[in-house]
Amino acid sequence: MKVLAIETTGKYGSASVIDNGGHVFSASSSEEMNHLRGMITLIDEAIHEAGITKDELTHVAASVGPGSFTGIRIGVTTARIMSQMLDIPCIAVSTLEAMAVRALDKAISAGALYVVPVINARRHQTYAGVYEAVFTSDCEHQSAIPVMEEKQYMIEDLLSELQTRMAEHSGAVAFFTGDGIDAYADIIKSTMTEGSYAFADEDLRYQHAEAVARIALGKAAAGETLTYNGLMPEYMRLAEAEQRLRAGTLSDRIRFPAK
Amino acid sequence: MKDGRFLTLGIETSCDETAASVVADGRFVMSNVISSQIDIHTAYGGVVPEIASRKHLERINDVIGKALEDACVSAKDIDLIGVTCGPGLVGALLIGVAAAKAMAYACDIPLVGVNHMHGHIAANYLEHKELEPPFMALIVSGGHTEIVNVPDYNKCEKLGGTRDDAAGEAFDKVARVIGLGYPGGPKIDRAAKEGDPDSIAFKRVYLEQGSLDFSFSGLKTQALNYLNQERQAGREIDVNNVAASFQEAVVEVIADKAVMAAERYGQKQIVMAGGVASNSRLRALMEEKAGRKGIKVLKPSPVLCTDNGAMIASAAYYAYRSGVKPDLELDAVPGLEF
Repeated sequence: MKVLAIETTGKYGSASVIDNGGHVFSASSSEEMNHLRGMITLIDEAIHEAGITKDELTHVAASVGPGSFTGIRIGVTTARIMSQMLDIPCIAVSTLEAMAVRALDKAISAGALYVVPVINARRHQTYAGVYEAVFTSDCEHQSAIPVMEEKQYMIEDLLSELQTRMAEHSGAVAFFTGDGIDAYADIIKSTMTEGSYAFADEDLRYQHAEAVARIALGKAAAGETLTYNGLMPEYMRLAEAEQRLRAGTLSDRIRFPAK
Repeated sequence: MKDGRFLTLGIETSCDETAASVVADGRFVMSNVISSQIDIHTAYGGVVPEIASRKHLERINDVIGKALEDACVSAKDIDLIGVTCGPGLVGALLIGVAAAKAMAYACDIPLVGVNHMHGHIAANYLEHKELEPPFMALIVSGGHTEIVNVPDYNKCEKLGGTRDDAAGEAFDKVARVIGLGYPGGPKIDRAAKEGDPDSIAFKRVYLEQGSLDFSFSGLKTQALNYLNQERQAGREIDVNNVAASFQEAVVEVIADKAVMAAERYGQKQIVMAGGVASNSRLRALMEEKAGRKGIKVLKPSPVLCTDNGAMIASAAYYAYRSGVKPDLELDAVPGLEF
């Protein structure tokens, strides 16, 4: 198997190719929000690094969100069309799960029980999930098991639910990752008790296709694949106008957005 | 290439239509698939950009697939991909651009970006097989009201445009206040046929002497004032008369200026383009006014006036032939100029 993974939901885009042996070859953008312009170049570099041609790809995976709506769409559209044109299946990977996997090693060496990826959705809102870091029976591999639903949380609600859960395990540490740290570090620090939390360093804090590729490889092996039309974004939020239409508060401002 | 013909796939997602088409030799439409989102946006009274972007993503694969299938070709037969890279809604544009790039890369096909407005002009190359530049172009749509001199393929000089609302936008707004709903253009056109264009004296806005620019926002205000005044006086409003009078005030100015531009640049033909080019009164008036000056008016059939992939394919074909370099780092440019 040769799985291409695409990550465009955060600030910096990246693409990775993973093989059966778990070897990962990646290319990352150093330019912020350059997803549309740079994506094909990154994909081509990752494929080249892997020493293969695009026709040897067996699957194409995308980080489907949550995150920047625009970013999600660029990655998912690219994956869907490559899947259609190369006639290979798609794999959907949760952005939050990929962030948890990316931080997992560091979280475990920091003695953390939980990994908490938090994406800043502004005005105290987040997209977040909570994962438990567990070892497989052979104690050689670790994995991230979801223990709180991935969804939109107010940062205060997320922390309060997390603390309730942590109260059952004395001395438990939560390892935060994602750009939610950049936005809400002060709130996290003032809410969590001293010593019960740690923050991922910046080099592991943000989305990267390598973690998407690792999860995708497992899904490919398990046959958890999709046709191109099955690969859908996970926005976790309705369009604002749709929310208002449902709530009956659609205003003229939404009806005629400024150009 | 198939049967010795150069095949271009055109992709268009700049607003609320997801469209793709295969065109042979820049002139012959082999397939033209348009998936409109109009039913979805009607509930909001206009296009909602975020929803448009979401729908484009869901539909783009099957629209491209159907365009290939209808043309009885496969992706490997395609020689060139053209995609609208602007102007338009940024979130909508980028679905088409991302899709076009992924396909170009996966299938090793050169890709060129197309200015949506050049596409509207190129719709005429599909309709009129003998048409060649030079000519004057009049583009009227929901987002544009422009007069453009076209000295050669892939060369466009904008001579005038709207300073506020586009003609189609004015139609939409007035249609809404008189209760005709969205989309306003076709609805006003239909209602106007039953009304008297001279019943209400709406002002013709020509701006400065000789100007090729337009302004329609004052007309919209005038229509609103008229409606308020009639309502206050307790008089019943004849929707058909308002539609006819308003429409006449818009299309008369457009036709006059287009003919003036053609005369000024010595052009013997005017080509019409854009959604509002389907307006029956504008078509009739253009023929009448241009005919008097010995100028020929060409217009695409209504299906080629709306946003479509075929016009993008044709424009891409001529751009590529005139030396535009393929670009896999193509970006979406919402405010792209001519």
